[in-house]
Order: sequence, then structure tokens, then C-alpha cells
Amino acid sequence: MTDIAPDMWAKVPAGAAVPPPPPPAPTYGQEVRRRLWANKPAVISIVFIVALVLAAFFGPYLSPHTYFRQDLKLSNIPPAFETYAVPQEDGSVTRFFLNASNFNLYEVDAEGHVLGLLRGGRKDIIKKSQPYEFGDQAVTLDYSRLPARLLLEDGTELRPSGWSWNRTYLFGTDQLGRDILVRQLYGAQISLTVAFVATLVNFCIGVFYGGIAGYVGGRVDAVMMRIVEIISTIPLTLYVVLLMVVFDSGLLSIIVAIGSVFWVDMARIVRGQILSLKSQDYVAAARTMGASPTRILTKHLLPNSIGPIIVTLTMLIPSAIFIESFMSFIGLGVTPPLASWGSLTSEAVETLRTYPHQLFFPAAAISLTMFAFNFLGDGLRDALDPRLRG
Amino acid sequence: MTQTVLSVRDLATSFFTRRGEVQAVRGVSFDVRPGEILGLVGESGSGKSITCMSVLRLLKTGGRIKSGSANFEGTDLLSLDENALSDLRGNRIGVIFQDPMTSLNPTLTVGEQVMEAILRHRSISRAQARARAVELFELVRIPSAAARLKSYPHEFSGGMRQRVMIAIALACDPKLLIADEPTTALDVTIQRQILALLKDLQQRLGMAVILITHDLGVIAEVTDRVLVLYGGLVMETAPVRELFAAPGHPYTVGLLGAVPDLRDDTHRRLTPIPGSPPNMLAPPPGCPFAPRCPHAMTRCLAELPPLFGEGHQSRCWLQHPDAPKVDAVHEVAA
Amino acid sequence: MIGYLAQRLGMMAVTLFAIITLTFFLMHAVPGGPFVSERMLAPEIAAALNAKYGLDLPIWQQYLNYLGSIASFDLGPSFKYPGVSINSMIAAGLPVTLQTGLLAIICVVALGVPLGVIAALNRNRWPDTTVMFIATLGVAIPSYVIATVSLYVFALRLGWVPTFGLDDWRGYFLPVFALSGFWISFVSRLTRSSLLETLEQDYMTTARAKGLKPGQILFKHGLRNSLLPVVTVLGPVVANLVTGSFVIEQIFALPGIGRQFVLSITNRDYTAIMGITIFYAAILMVMILIVDLLYVWLDPRIKLTKAAA
Repeated sequence: MTDIAPDMWAKVPAGAAVPPPPPPAPTYGQEVRRRLWANKPAVISIVFIVALVLAAFFGPYLSPHTYFRQDLKLSNIPPAFETYAVPQEDGSVTRFFLNASNFNLYEVDAEGHVLGLLRGGRKDIIKKSQPYEFGDQAVTLDYSRLPARLLLEDGTELRPSGWSWNRTYLFGTDQLGRDILVRQLYGAQISLTVAFVATLVNFCIGVFYGGIAGYVGGRVDAVMMRIVEIISTIPLTLYVVLLMVVFDSGLLSIIVAIGSVFWVDMARIVRGQILSLKSQDYVAAARTMGASPTRILTKHLLPNSIGPIIVTLTMLIPSAIFIESFMSFIGLGVTPPLASWGSLTSEAVETLRTYPHQLFFPAAAISLTMFAFNFLGDGLRDALDPRLRG
Repeated sequence: MTQTVLSVRDLATSFFTRRGEVQAVRGVSFDVRPGEILGLVGESGSGKSITCMSVLRLLKTGGRIKSGSANFEGTDLLSLDENALSDLRGNRIGVIFQDPMTSLNPTLTVGEQVMEAILRHRSISRAQARARAVELFELVRIPSAAARLKSYPHEFSGGMRQRVMIAIALACDPKLLIADEPTTALDVTIQRQILALLKDLQQRLGMAVILITHDLGVIAEVTDRVLVLYGGLVMETAPVRELFAAPGHPYTVGLLGAVPDLRDDTHRRLTPIPGSPPNMLAPPPGCPFAPRCPHAMTRCLAELPPLFGEGHQSRCWLQHPDAPKVDAVHEVAA
Repeated sequence: MIGYLAQRLGMMAVTLFAIITLTFFLMHAVPGGPFVSERMLAPEIAAALNAKYGLDLPIWQQYLNYLGSIASFDLGPSFKYPGVSINSMIAAGLPVTLQTGLLAIICVVALGVPLGVIAALNRNRWPDTTVMFIATLGVAIPSYVIATVSLYVFALRLGWVPTFGLDDWRGYFLPVFALSGFWISFVSRLTRSSLLETLEQDYMTTARAKGLKPGQILFKHGLRNSLLPVVTVLGPVVANLVTGSFVIEQIFALPGIGRQFVLSITNRDYTAIMGITIFYAAILMVMILIVDLLYVWLDPRIKLTKAAA
């Protein structure tokens, strides 16, 4: 018990032993950003959405094709094909591919650019064959048995020389010979515009309505909320349909129809936030302690109210995209030749049996976008929720 | 050595969070003797609730018992398999929680919640269980007991709900009752009623009670022995009278100084303990109280003191025979 | 309880009245009226048709007449198919829509809830991540995409199920799957998060402290409470299945009310659009009432607060 050095018994002056204060707690904004960046799906979603918006609004200008120009001779061309090569006397090679669904031959070059439809001789309807001539080479298209074959004069089958990507129409063409990629980008442009504008309209109505109800309170609030209650039991999608019937299809009408109907949730949330903020103990506490209004607003009110609103907003966008594509799908959306993801999907369904690949692009585009907004919404909700702090 | 109901040795529990390991309990040992009320006192975050929840292995998500043993009637609760442990919970050991508002299931009648505890541990019919529930409600003095069985928790006041919780805890005549801040969430008048009820039941049923509280008034009123916890460690343990008469640890002294005493007519000022509890993510190497201690010495910062003494133990270097003499009690009166 | 029911029925009547009024005036706001659209009719024929359907009357009188006929459960005649009543149109399509809809709801509850429970009990382990990954897919992919892609894969490519119609029992698979896919995912996500929240509640610790068996704790204390939010969404589920049926019945060529509705839109058959909308709204309101009653039954706290309000 005597092994303790005497200086160890020295009294520590008051305050000297106090450990250094912990680093200042990050501000709310920093915390939100940190949590959001730590959420990989949300970050990938942000990147995807930004890329999508850029592609949708600038992409069409970079393409030689337009969303409306039809070329029926070049309809239903796939994004990739098997080329056949027929050597010519002069040493050049004629390349073409066979569209196995409509039995047409299309000339292509070595890189995979589509040059045009090849004209053959008369079709023999009985024998189901059609002759083609390439310089001195005669080739017969035989589609009496499926899959269709190409036969040389000596009866041997012409073999494809290999797969090639379609360099002219990267995603192929639709049944009217329009470039699918450009139509996709236009579709994205319209779908996104409708979604953003309609969400904004909903947001404004919701904030206005919910704000008044929450701020005025009392009898006004009770009546306004009863109305909201009635509206929320009405099947709203039906009313978008009815409005579209009344307005006639078109970009503006679908924005108005969607924008005027789905504000109920927003109104409820805004009202709830305002009510709870009006009566929060911590706001009163902050005021009593002499906090400035700016400080109350930035430190207390905004962090606690903006979260649910932003999350609702993020979740409104995918549902607006969905409703728009849904309307377009049942023929109530934008009118052709304008395109949106919904109308593109429904066009692709018409040719589903013969050209299933055409369904892939609009289906993938809308699904990925919905994914991105869902992940972003989830990520934002987790990042903004102050209860999960710490 | 006296016989013990529960004997906890070197219990250490941590919570694993995103920010790291929070060492909530860092090696706590104590005994509960038959028929005594042991008080566990400390500030919030001192590890008093976690200690008891660890013993019953009722920790919330993220909590993990790192080491230690808890011997109850010859079995180690910490190494018992979950099934065997659940045979003891609610049967030999009853628990009362802090907040009677949230501790009862809002969608089941209180009768059902009492009866299910009985039916789990006794092979009796539902009618017998109901009769027992009525008996328990009468025991905890819920008026018109039989009729109230069909009520839902939201139809009760806070004090009545806590009585229901006590009835659940006592359903199978436990040998040990753990009461985790049973009165904290209640109004002051109700607090006294519930405490009186607990004390009365303890004496009638002859069970041992661990009473967790941050309220020294409660400690003085009902407990026999006290364990003072700070920073996940036992700071002092003593019979209740001794603790109040001659506290051996500056932290206990500080706690006493922060309690108003109406019998005291010397117009003593309440002295709050300066500073804040240690950060349990990175507890200091020495005495956790040293940074706030008016008597802190170099040694206190360097090395954790052991528990000095027998019966009345204090974890303070001032109790070391070589330590300079300080009149700790004097500080209170000053 | 009776008071609550009466209050709810009163609310329903008000809502339904609002819907009828809104629908009626919306449909009469269409420029030109029903017979102007396509063929140019001789003025005297148009006048005769207008007289026959009461369209020459002032609008408020038409409105009163319409209200009157609805009160006697008559949704009026179709403008496009002479001699066909909207009631018979609905009666013809109802069995198909009802069958697929009910099967879909059963799937939502019977698959969504167990999947959510499995995910919650295995939090952050592989069953959880797998279920949540699929559920995220299900929430994000629109029903018509699910329908068309599954139609291509399972009917056209693999030939496991017929491409259209319900003559074969296997014909139910794809429509029901496409209808319920979103909501199975939604409900499993909701069940998971709600159960996780419930598991953290103090009364769950109480249940453990009583020594109850894990099964008892989960089913009696955990699930009952965590299913409350799931019950709340069942109302919207019904609404969504209704609108979902528009496209699904279209894609799979099912002769249900949804297809009838879309057809009426394409035909601009205004009385049919109006009638089917009102019919849907009425059905939905009954469903929402049932769901609310279920909720009151499940959560004893509601009874007092609502009846007192």
C-alpha cells in the first residue's frame, strides 16, 4: 500500500481535469447531407435522375433523328442483328440482315449502319419464297419453314457472318419506322415534365390549403379538413380519367388533371406540421430562452417540418410519373406523335408477339426511374428524420 | 456469508451503435439478500437500468452482455438458455417498468395481460386465472377489481396502470421483484401511494426487491441498502442509514447536496454537481467522477480506484490509507 | 358503436352525393354533348335523340332526373349501344372483376404480411434483404409493365399460362399477379417497418418480462399492433385494384368492368363513364367503411375517441 508515489496524491486544481469539450455537434444540414451521402442507393439514384434529366432535355438535339419522322420502309428494325455478307465480283462485299419477323432484307455497311430496304423479285406466295440478286449472286429467301433461311443458287444455305449492333438506330425503330431512342428521350422529357409540374402544382395547392387550415384553425380548420376527408375517400385516379375525358388529351390537360387532384396528402401534412409547430413546447422554450426568430426558424422549425414535406414531395413525383404513364397507356395521355413512357409501352404491347424487344426500353426506363425516385425518397426520409439522429 | 437471492458478479454490458461501443455497464457486482429492498441510485445514463435489464436479458436492440454472471437460486441467468430463462421471468422474478403508459399493450384488456402471465407459469384453468387476477387487483388496491379486468389500459389513470403493472409482476409470487423507476412517470401524490404499496407488499409477501431510482428521497423512504452507480460502475454501497449519515464518496456527497431537505432549517443552498456525466463511448481511464470532483487528485485521473471497505464500500482514492484527509461531509454543509 | 356507424353512413351519403354531382357536371361540361362528336347527324334526328334521352331539358332538371334514377338504383341507358342499360353492362362485367379483385386482395394479405414478418424477424440478414429487394422492385415497377412483361415471358415465351381469358384456371395467375404485385410489396414493406417499430415498444419488453413464449409474444402482442397500419391501407388497396383493373383487364382481354370503362372512354359513352364511376365510388366507400369497422374492432382505443368526436 506504500507503492504509490506521493505526487499522485496532489490535488488537481479545479477545472484542470475537465476533459476537452467534444467537437461541436454537426449542424442539421451537415447531418442530413452526411446521412444522405452515406446511403448508396440514394446517391446512385440522384446521379441517375440528373443523368436522365440531362439526357431527356438535351439528348434529342444530339440525334440526327426526330421523334415524329416516319419511314415505313425501315419499320421494326431491331437494335442488333446478324449480318450476311455476299462478296461481289469487283471485290466489294454486300452486307445485309434479315428481319426474321417481317421477312425483309435490309442493306447495312460493315460498321452496322442501316443503308436501306433491299428490293427483291416477286414473292412466290405458294412456295413462300422471294428471290434477291446481289450483282451476279442470286439468293432466295425461303420462309416456308420457320425460321426463315437464305439459300444460294446451289441450294446451300447462306450463313450469317456475325452479330452487329445497329449503328443508325441504336435502339431500333418502331412499327412506323421512327427511331426508338429519340422517342424514348422525348417520352422521358414529357413524363418528367408532367411529373415535376404536376407535383409543383400539388405542392402549391397543398401548402396553401393546409397552411390556411392549420394557421387559422378552429371552425375553418374543421370544415376544411372535413372536405379533405371527403376528397380522400373519392377514388382520385377515376377523376383524373374523367378530367381527361372532359379536357381532351394533351400535355397541358394531363398536367392540370394530375395537378389538381393529388394535393390532399400534402395539405394534411402541411396542416399537421403547422399545428404541431404552433403548440410545440420546444418552440416556446426556445422563445423563453431568448432565441431570435431566425434561430427558432432555422434551428427548430425548419428541421422538424421540412422533412416530411420534402419526403412527400419526392414520393409524389413517382406517383405522378406513374399516373401519367397509366393515362397514356389507356389512351388518355399525350396525343401521337408525341410520346410518353406510357404510350410507348402501349405501342410496344401492340407488337409484343413479333417484336418483344420494343417493350424492353420503355418498361426499363419507367421502372428504373420509379426505382430512383423511390430510393431517393427513402434515403431522404431516413436522412431528414431527426429522431434517428445519433 | 449470508444467503443471497441474486448475486451479480462483474457484469459488463455495452450498446453497439453506429458511433461506436457505448460501455453502459463496466463491471458491476452486488448481492440481493432475501426480503430486503436494495436501492440502485444514479443519474440517467449511470447504468442502473441497464444493469437490471442485463440480469434478465431484456436489453433492447444493440445491447450485448460482454461478461459477468448473475446467480439466482443456484443458476446463472446470463448463461441459461432462453427457454429456461423465460420460465423464471414473470414467475420467480417480476419486473415493473418506468412508464406505465407504454408498458401495457394498448390493444389487450388489462385482465388478459395479467392472466396471460399467470397462465404461462401455472397449469390452471382460465377461470382460476381470472379469479387469481381479481385477487391480484385487490392486492394492489384497484377498486371494483372484477369489473376492471375488462378495461383497456387507456381507460386507466397512470397510477392505476402502474398498479396493473405491479399486479402482473406479482402474478406468480416472485422471489425477486425488479422495479425500474416505478414512480418516475407519476404525479408526486401517486408516487407516495405506489411506494407505500410496494413497501407493504414486499413485507407481506416477503420478497426481495431491487428498486431503481434517481430519487434519493425514494431511497431514504423505502430501501434497506443502497448501491450508488456512476459511469457504469458501483461508486458506493452501504446500508441506507450509513449512506446518508456518512457518505464515503464525493459523488454521493454531491448527490445528497442536490436534494432539498425540508427538515433542515439552516437555509442551506442546494448545490448542483458541476459538469456532466462521462462520455461512455470513451470512458476516462481513472475515476469517472474525477473531472467533476472537488477533491480530484492526480491519481484519480490516472487509475480507477478499487472499492475500499467492507459492508460500506466506496470506490474513492480518499479511502486509501495514504490519502490526505478530507472532511467530505463538511462539503455538504458548506 | 351504433352512433359511430350512423355517423359514418351519413358521411358516406354526403360523399356519394358529392361524387354524383361532380361526375354529372363534369360529364356535361364536355363541349357539344354526346351526339355531336363523330357522325354528323341530321338536326331533326339529333333533336329526337336529345328529346329521347331528356337532353333538351334544362341542366338542373336533367340533374334531378339523374339523381332520381340513381336513387332507384338505375344508372340509365347507354348512349352508344341503344337498348343496353348501364346496369346490365356492370352486371355482365362484375363477376370477372370481382373474382380477380378478391383473389388479388387475398394474395396481398396472405403473401404481403408473412413476407413482412419474415423480413422483420430476420432484420438485416439475407431473408430480410431478399424480401426487401423484391419488394422494392414491386413498388417501383408499374402494374402494366409487370403485366406485359409477365405476359410475354410466361404466356408467349414459356407457354405456362394462356395469354388471355379466364376459361382455364391458370388464366387467373398473371392478372392476379399483376394486380396485386405492387400491394404485396407495399404491404410487406409496411408490415416489416411496423413490426420492427412494435418490437421496440415497451410493452413488448413487458411481454418478455412475463416469460411468454416467443410465438405468443409475436402473434399476440407484436402482430396485432403492427397490423393496424396494414389494415388502414386496405381501403386504398381496393381503390387501387379498381384502377389497376383498367389496364390489367385490357392487357389480358378480360371482360370485366375495368375494360368496359376504358371502352366507354374510347367510345365517349358518357352515361356509361358516369354510371361506372359512380358504381366504383359506391363500392369503394362500402369497402372503406368495412375496413374502418375492422380497425375499430382491432384497436380498442379508437372506439372512445371517435364516438366522442
